[in-house]
Amino acid sequence: MRVEALLQFALAIAFIVLWVFMPAWSISGANYSISLTPWGYVVRFFGETHVIPPPTVYAVWLFALDAGLLPLVWRRSRYSLYLATLFSVLSLSMLMDTILFQQRYLQFHGYTIAPTPTGYIYVLLSTKPVLGLPTYILLALTILSIFNMATRARWLGTRVIEDPIVAVERVLKVLHIEYSRIEGGVKVGGIKIIRRDDSLLLVNEHRIDEVDLGTAITEAVKVGLKQPVSVGVVDYGED
Amino acid sequence: MPPSPFKITLLISILSIAIALTLIWGTAQTAPNLIHYSTLSNDPYIKVESINVTPNGVYIRLAVINNGTPLVFRPTGGWVEVVDTGQSINVTMTNGTVIAKLPLMPQWTSLASVGVKGIVSGVLNGSRAYIAFFDVAPIHVINTIGIADVSYADCVLNVTLSVDTVVPVVIGPIINMSLFTVSTPGYYVFETIGIVNTTVYAPAGSHNVTLTIQVSPALGRYTYVYSCNYLSGFSKYTLWLPIGVTYMYPTGNVTSYTLLTKTFVVGGGS
Repeated sequence: MRVEALLQFALAIAFIVLWVFMPAWSISGANYSISLTPWGYVVRFFGETHVIPPPTVYAVWLFALDAGLLPLVWRRSRYSLYLATLFSVLSLSMLMDTILFQQRYLQFHGYTIAPTPTGYIYVLLSTKPVLGLPTYILLALTILSIFNMATRARWLGTRVIEDPIVAVERVLKVLHIEYSRIEGGVKVGGIKIIRRDDSLLLVNEHRIDEVDLGTAITEAVKVGLKQPVSVGVVDYGED
Repeated sequence: MPPSPFKITLLISILSIAIALTLIWGTAQTAPNLIHYSTLSNDPYIKVESINVTPNGVYIRLAVINNGTPLVFRPTGGWVEVVDTGQSINVTMTNGTVIAKLPLMPQWTSLASVGVKGIVSGVLNGSRAYIAFFDVAPIHVINTIGIADVSYADCVLNVTLSVDTVVPVVIGPIINMSLFTVSTPGYYVFETIGIVNTTVYAPAGSHNVTLTIQVSPALGRYTYVYSCNYLSGFSKYTLWLPIGVTYMYPTGNVTSYTLLTKTFVVGGGS
C-alpha cells in the first residue's frame, strides 16, 4: 500500500469529519446565517432554524469518500487513480453546484421587511460570505489525486531497502516470478538465497556460494524466467 | 480473463457523471419545494401613545408595541410628520420613550385627532432596523389654571392666577368662595360668598392675571364675612375658589367649573 494513496484517503476522511463540525461554506451574520453542512443548508433567522437539504450535498461527501477509498480497494491498475481523480473532481463540482444552489434559491440581499399593524419594519441584516476550511481540504484532495494520477502514486520516491532478501523479493515480484519464502531467505525453483549475517549464500543442488546482492538477484531471475509466466500483484503497475 | 481496467473505469466514469448530472437536475427541480419562506412574527411596531397640546408645544409620545416578545427593539432616532398640520420634526429619546415636540400652531386648537406618520430607527436584536408607521390619535389639550398668590386686606381679596392655556380664556364668575385658617379648630375669615361676577380675560399662552374682589356682606344675602383683614394670631390660611372658566375655542366656547385651592402663609411666622 502506497503512502501517497493513504495520504489521499486521509485527506478524504479529514474533509468529511471536519465538515461535520464546521461549514464548508457560510454566510454569517448576527440574526441571519446560512451554513453548508454535510446534511444540507442550515438557515438561522431570528432564533428560527431550518434545514434545507439539496440532494447534491450528499454527493459531495459520497464522491469524496470514493476518491479516498478507491485507490486502497483497487490497487491493481493505475485506472483506479484515474477514477479517484474523477471522483474528487466530481465531489468538488457537486460542492460548487450546492453553493450555486444557495446563490440561486437561497439568495439573500441583506435585509428583511415585515408588515406591522401600523406600517412595516425594515431590518438590515448584514452578512459576510465565508469559505470554510473543509472546502480547502477538498481542494487539496483534488490536487493530490491529480498528482497521484500523474505519478502513479510514486512521488514520494522509492523506499530504501536494508534487507537484501526483501530486495530480491521485490525484483521477483515485479517480474511476476513465483517464489517461496523459507527460513532466512527465498526459494526460487531449484535454488535458495539465504542471508547469513552480512553476506548472502546462493544454495543449489551441488554447492553453496557466497555471493553479492547483484549476483543473487541475477541467479534468482535466471531460474525464475524458466517458470511459466504468471500474474502477480503490483500496486498500480498495469496500464 | 477479467474485464479490462479501462472498461471498468469507463463504465464507472459514465455512471458517476450520469449520477452527478441527474442530481444537479433533480436539485433544480425540487428546489422550490425545498426552500422555506420565513418572515418576522410578533415584530415590534410603533403606535402613537398620546398627543398633548400645551401652550409650550405639542408633545407626541410614541410607544413601541411588542417590544421584547421576543424581539428587542431599542429606538435611537427617527422623525414624525403630522399630516393635518404639515409639521415634521426629529424625535428625541427621553428615558427610553420616543417623544416628538412640535411648536404649537393655531390649527391644533380646532382638531380632535390627527394622523401621524414617521420612521423610528433603532436596533433590533443587534441589527439595524427601521419601523415605519402611520397612526391616527386623539388630541389632549392641556390647559392649567392655578392660584399663584393671594393677599387679603381691607375686605379686598387679590388673587393672582397663573393661566397656562392653549386658547384664550375668560375666568369668572366665582361661586361660594371661602377663606379659613389652617388650624384646629379652624376659623373662617369669610365663608360662602355667593356669586361674584368678576371676570378677567387671559390670552392663549402662559400669563399671570389678577382678580380683585371686594368682599363685603353687600355682595349677597347669605354671606358671612367675619373680618376684613387676616385674623390676629393666625398666619396659615386656605382659600377655596370655585370658579368658572370659559375656553374660547375656534369651534365654540366651552365653559367648565373648577375648584382652585391655595394654602398660603401670611407674614413671616406660621
